[in-house]
Amino acid sequence: MVLQSRVDLEGLLWSVPDRLWLALGVFLLAVVLGLLVVRVNAGLLRRAGLPETIEGTAFERTVRGIGTSTVAILSQLSGWFIVILGVIVAIAVAEPSYAEQFWSQTTGFLPSLFVAVLILIVGIVVGDKVELLFSERLRSVKLPQIGIVPTVAKYSVFYVAFVLAMDQIGVATFALVVLLALYALALVVFGAVAGKQMLSSAAAGLYLFLNEPYGIGDTVKIGAQRGVVQEIDVFVTHIEADGEEYVVPNDRVFEGGIVIIHEE
Amino acid sequence: MSTPADLLEDLTDDVDAVFVFSPSSGFYEQFEESAIDVVVVAPENNVDAETYVELPLPFENVRDRIRFGIEGAMDRDIVDDGDEVACVVSIFGDDHDSLVRVRVDEAMHSGVYGLFANSRADPGVIRDVFEVVIELGKKGQKGKPVGALFVIGDAGKVMNKSRPLSYNPFEKSHVHVGDPIVNVMLKEFSRLDGAFVISDSGKIVSAYRYLEAGAEGVDIPKGLGTRHMAGAAITRATNATAIVLSESDGMVRAFKGGELILEIDPEDY
Repeated sequence: MVLQSRVDLEGLLWSVPDRLWLALGVFLLAVVLGLLVVRVNAGLLRRAGLPETIEGTAFERTVRGIGTSTVAILSQLSGWFIVILGVIVAIAVAEPSYAEQFWSQTTGFLPSLFVAVLILIVGIVVGDKVELLFSERLRSVKLPQIGIVPTVAKYSVFYVAFVLAMDQIGVATFALVVLLALYALALVVFGAVAGKQMLSSAAAGLYLFLNEPYGIGDTVKIGAQRGVVQEIDVFVTHIEADGEEYVVPNDRVFEGGIVIIHEE
Repeated sequence: MSTPADLLEDLTDDVDAVFVFSPSSGFYEQFEESAIDVVVVAPENNVDAETYVELPLPFENVRDRIRFGIEGAMDRDIVDDGDEVACVVSIFGDDHDSLVRVRVDEAMHSGVYGLFANSRADPGVIRDVFEVVIELGKKGQKGKPVGALFVIGDAGKVMNKSRPLSYNPFEKSHVHVGDPIVNVMLKEFSRLDGAFVISDSGKIVSAYRYLEAGAEGVDIPKGLGTRHMAGAAITRATNATAIVLSESDGMVRAFKGGELILEIDPEDY
């Protein structure tokens, strides 16, 4: 009786075609590889200090709320990608004709989808982080309307990530790209027009920082103002004379030159 | 018959304001409904109090802490000369354990608030220098006590009233007090003689400066050495603030306008 069933089983096992065994092997290999990648990726991301970097971002808080973490999501994403790829390859091995009809397109599409999801997640996290950084920077500015700056920065990053992701999976994004270009152009033009003076001052300030033609304590004459240098920063130089402190934009240094007075 | 409750009642009898030092939000809420003014004195306004005085250093000396709070309130016209205030402070540990009744008096104005708030340099810069000096006083240089002299603010004038003792290690560098690297650098350079000069915004302008301001008429307590004298003299000649770490007794002293304003023991922090 026992012998009989063993023979049956053996016969059954032998009757399975080699192709299916190969497919099973591929599938198992993919699962093992996927698990391995999940582990390695999670370790790498942690080692790279990702959890500390994205601490406090809205995305991280949301995923924490549903009991996971950004690191887990990112590493599992790569694992799933490999497993799904393995499944497709396995099916292709097992039933070549069927797979060619249906899966060839999907296999081509899958990496793009994977990259798109990755871009979206990274974009969301980076956007959150940018917002956080901006609002920390601007905390000392006591102006209620300033709150819009971090938000705009956040959604700009989201938008770019969204366009990139859409582009990855082949959705027509031309209009969105044009919109983005217009937005960037407006930003650059406004920035250049409004901050022309600031920019040239900063450029001059950079020169002053690197070369220090005059230092704190020197007596100088910049344009009509003469006095003792009290402070030099990127945009302005403070010079003081007889209790009057002049705040001179640094680009004046290049416009009119400076006189360094060594002796009275 | 005097019970502890009566004693407390005497202390709190018609006070004009209550000063609460570093309250937790739960503790502060108890005061919110009271009719008298409540002034919060804390390093950070994390209870959203209306009247708030920022405490730049956690003064271990309670007299200094109270003095700072009251001077800050006086400066902003929250309390006036002659007002009676009750101060709720913690002396031992972190909980509020003491009630001090103080009569606000122009004479108690020691300038300790002005040292931070009304100096030429940013309050944050002065606080950072205090922190560096306290750290230096606690640890010393390789375990040995070390002295140091920092002149903060009005750097242009200070530079013109001093001369270099050696080449300036901070030439063409752009380090500010409060940068993490600075503690180590200052510790190394404090072995050498002379003063550190720091600008209004906290940039370290120079080390090894020999201060040349005349010391005529500078009145500082007897027993303090030449380092203190030099520090006091430069603050009289300029609008700077000087913070001195004494090598002999390890105390940190701050001078402004040629006068000793504040004296703290680094070991307390």
